[in-house]
Amino acid sequence: MGVISEFRKMGKNGSYHQTLIKDLKRINEKLQFLGALNESLTEGIPFTVKDNICVKGFEARAGSKILGGYVPPFNATAVERMLAKGFGFLGKTQMDEFGFGSFGINTQVQARNPFNPDKVAGGSSSGAAVATAVMKYHVAIAESTGGSISNPAAFCGVLGFTPTYGTVSRYGLIDYANSLDKIGIMGRSGDDIREVFDIIKGADRYDSTCVDTKVKGEGKKKLVVINQLMKGIDEEILSSFDSLLSQLGEMGYKVEHVSIDSITKAIPAYYIISMAEASTNLAKYTGYKYGLQRESFTEKYNAFFTGARAAFGTEAKRRIVLGTFVRSESVKDKYYTKALQFRTAITNKLGQILKDAFIISPTMPITAPDFEQAAKLTPLQTYAMDSLTIPPNLSGLPHISFPCDYKRRMPVGAQLITGHFNDYALLDFVSEWEKRFEYRFKYSLGAI
Amino acid sequence: MKDSEFDRLLEICRLRLEPSERERIKGDIDEIIGYFGTLEGAEGAKAEPSYHPIKVPEKLREDKVVPFENSDLLLKGTKTHRFYVIGPDV
Amino acid sequence: MKIGLEVHVALPTKSKLFCSCSSISDEPNSAICPICMGFPGSKPMLNGAALSQAINVANALNCKISESTSFVRKVYFYPDLPKSYQITQTQGAIGGNGSVELESKRIGIRRIQLEEDPAKIVREENYTLIDFNRSGVPLVEIVTEPDISSEEELREFVFALKSILYYLGIDIEKELKVDLNISVAKERVEIKNVTGLRNLIDAARYEIKRQQELVAKKQKVESETRSYNEKAMRTESSREKESDEEYGFIYDPDLTSYSTKSASVQKPVYAGKIAREYGKKYGGAAKTILELIQFDKRSLELIDYAKAKWPMQNIINVVEVLKKYGHMDIPDEKFTRLIEIAKSGTPVNEQVLKQVIKGAAVETSNVGSTDIDKEIKAMIKANQKLLKEYDKNPKVFNFIIGEVAKKLKANPKDVSARLSSILEKI
Repeated sequence: MGVISEFRKMGKNGSYHQTLIKDLKRINEKLQFLGALNESLTEGIPFTVKDNICVKGFEARAGSKILGGYVPPFNATAVERMLAKGFGFLGKTQMDEFGFGSFGINTQVQARNPFNPDKVAGGSSSGAAVATAVMKYHVAIAESTGGSISNPAAFCGVLGFTPTYGTVSRYGLIDYANSLDKIGIMGRSGDDIREVFDIIKGADRYDSTCVDTKVKGEGKKKLVVINQLMKGIDEEILSSFDSLLSQLGEMGYKVEHVSIDSITKAIPAYYIISMAEASTNLAKYTGYKYGLQRESFTEKYNAFFTGARAAFGTEAKRRIVLGTFVRSESVKDKYYTKALQFRTAITNKLGQILKDAFIISPTMPITAPDFEQAAKLTPLQTYAMDSLTIPPNLSGLPHISFPCDYKRRMPVGAQLITGHFNDYALLDFVSEWEKRFEYRFKYSLGAI
Repeated sequence: MKDSEFDRLLEICRLRLEPSERERIKGDIDEIIGYFGTLEGAEGAKAEPSYHPIKVPEKLREDKVVPFENSDLLLKGTKTHRFYVIGPDV
Repeated sequence: MKIGLEVHVALPTKSKLFCSCSSISDEPNSAICPICMGFPGSKPMLNGAALSQAINVANALNCKISESTSFVRKVYFYPDLPKSYQITQTQGAIGGNGSVELESKRIGIRRIQLEEDPAKIVREENYTLIDFNRSGVPLVEIVTEPDISSEEELREFVFALKSILYYLGIDIEKELKVDLNISVAKERVEIKNVTGLRNLIDAARYEIKRQQELVAKKQKVESETRSYNEKAMRTESSREKESDEEYGFIYDPDLTSYSTKSASVQKPVYAGKIAREYGKKYGGAAKTILELIQFDKRSLELIDYAKAKWPMQNIINVVEVLKKYGHMDIPDEKFTRLIEIAKSGTPVNEQVLKQVIKGAAVETSNVGSTDIDKEIKAMIKANQKLLKEYDKNPKVFNFIIGEVAKKLKANPKDVSARLSSILEKI
């Protein structure tokens, strides 16, 4: 039984929530994972929301200075649906600026790993993973573009579920890359994620790309490991993964290794598409309609805009420049269009494999690094950290990261991928896994 | 990438960089673009481009006026004058 | 000389292109929402009526209509553009490869695209005031080939286009923004953002003259972007330098592609063609017919109703009068009566019209019944003898009618009617 059902049975209200908020504030001083908090919450199963998803009346910064002061006058569809089901909005969670990062460090407030505060929480949904890792009765609404749910879920030892592109409405999500962005869920059990998924999924008249396709749960007994993805993975992670495969073998799964050369092209294809789209999405931040207010209106508009846009962080600026470059008319076919073609090719290839198998891999090539280590990586080294999470994200395939081991007291996650709209199969899989493997959490705030 | 090309890009994006930031971004940009360029000619380059990873069927909105219910909140974060939003000089 | 246009016309939908805000509003910023303000988190949802109206425009302009249509983001920075990109169309445009038929020429239509209008900007001394009511209003952009070769042709084209759109229920004057491309010599000059029909013609006239003078002086025409200064009535060099390279168009991933098949397509009306046809077939000057029907559906309706039954001259006479005195809503039987009157030789004028509308009897004569009476009485007075023979000799009756009708060029029937009534009284 998940924590949601458990909580519902207990029916805690009022002082429970107030105590939880007090405890949260205390631990937040150490782990810095929260944004705006709903201090007046007195009822409902607590849920947090990644700061790039709009909750009416609460500041949404998406990790950016340029959005400072932006208070959305509307709820994201996913949030609206949670509230309608009686869930209690607890607060916003920190993230890399606009989702641009793998460690939660590309922002002013950097969330810390609950297992070791010297280590990063992952990114970009850093705060969502920490919130899930520290609270017992709670679910997190997060978002992934290229791995932003799987990555921090693995680093913080929680479940991170990214549904098929288009199953959950993006209305109210502050765009990073519209053809890649997916709202998803972090939690502590497959049952909880299933319950939340059933609430937030389904067509929405405010999101043109949200579909009403029926979600299935066809289990597979074959697990495919893609050879090209297993390069550059830390020894200790590989050993955890080997042990996972043998346990799954005991559970009746068959492992098969395949080679897909084109899979290595998923990373450049992903970054080209995401940066191209991001550079258009970030054009709207010009310092006078919402968020940061520049107020020096007598400046000519170009100087005014340029002045306001200085508030973007370095990674955001890098992606704006690169994204603008790859969609420039003269080189667009070489980069942007080519990347879209690779998306098709890779999606088709993965689709074939997924007809009768899951794809499985470690989630991240390393366990959570120290802040210093993470900061030292070059952009390309950082982008390479996403090599395992990018393929399903590029192709809009549902995937889940689940804790499978602990190394040097840090969690290790594995990632399972299935075909489009077969999302339930992932949740069935983790429910099965949970019977065998007990997740460890450092904190359980709000436990009764 | 030449300095002039880099500057032209910055101008299109309405970005101005501090010297240290410029060095960081400019320093990596050729390496990243080179990496992006590995797609050219690689296997798989002949597929049809996909604008979404799944098929997205069309959805149309009925032509009906529904005023936004919280319109008073829309101009709350911005400077206004006689109901107009104040913007920079043109 | 080559002139090409990019004409932006507002579509008459109730709500905006991508949100449910009203496309008509008065107070500044009274019809706005997170979507047309470009708020972070908001997403567009296409208005089916706007799509269908744009398809009708493409169809009426004889375009080949794409099976499915899609949108792109055109990125540029200006305070009136809330998202700093405009949702518009390029390759996936509604249609293209069409034409507008003028009297002696065909003007090619390169492309029809559907896009969102930016906000309205009011320039103050050293800042701007922005009204987002207009932001997101659906526009159809009509891009012509550079087939127009004189100011007269430009005028003819614009009125022909206005007429075609009028018959689709689209008022070109509601909001008209035009980019004008003019090359007298080889170099192409683009005059951006000319608003309104009058400015369009004035701007073109000025620019043609300017370029012609440069050419005459053997000076080079600069290939550039200019703007039109309405007050000074001249075009001026502007420093704009954005091009496709900078716009960096990408497919708008918030939207998908849309089928054009389900739209209900109206049969277009080409007033110019109809006027020429009717002129030939039924008589009457094509130009006069065109003047009546170009921007007036009801005139065409009335003419169509009557054209096969009565002479076109009479129909035109009646419709002109109806139009002039604001009685276009006339019921069929009174309209018919008016044409009959006109046909009988009595020109329909305000007085006749009023009487028919009132349902009163009309004394029909082209010279007016009082003139006829006067002449008849004079005849009787001068020929007392004739009067005595009146009841014995019916020929006398006909004689008087003949004389009066001849003298006044009146309709004998009318004279006969007046004569009977006068004789009765005597």
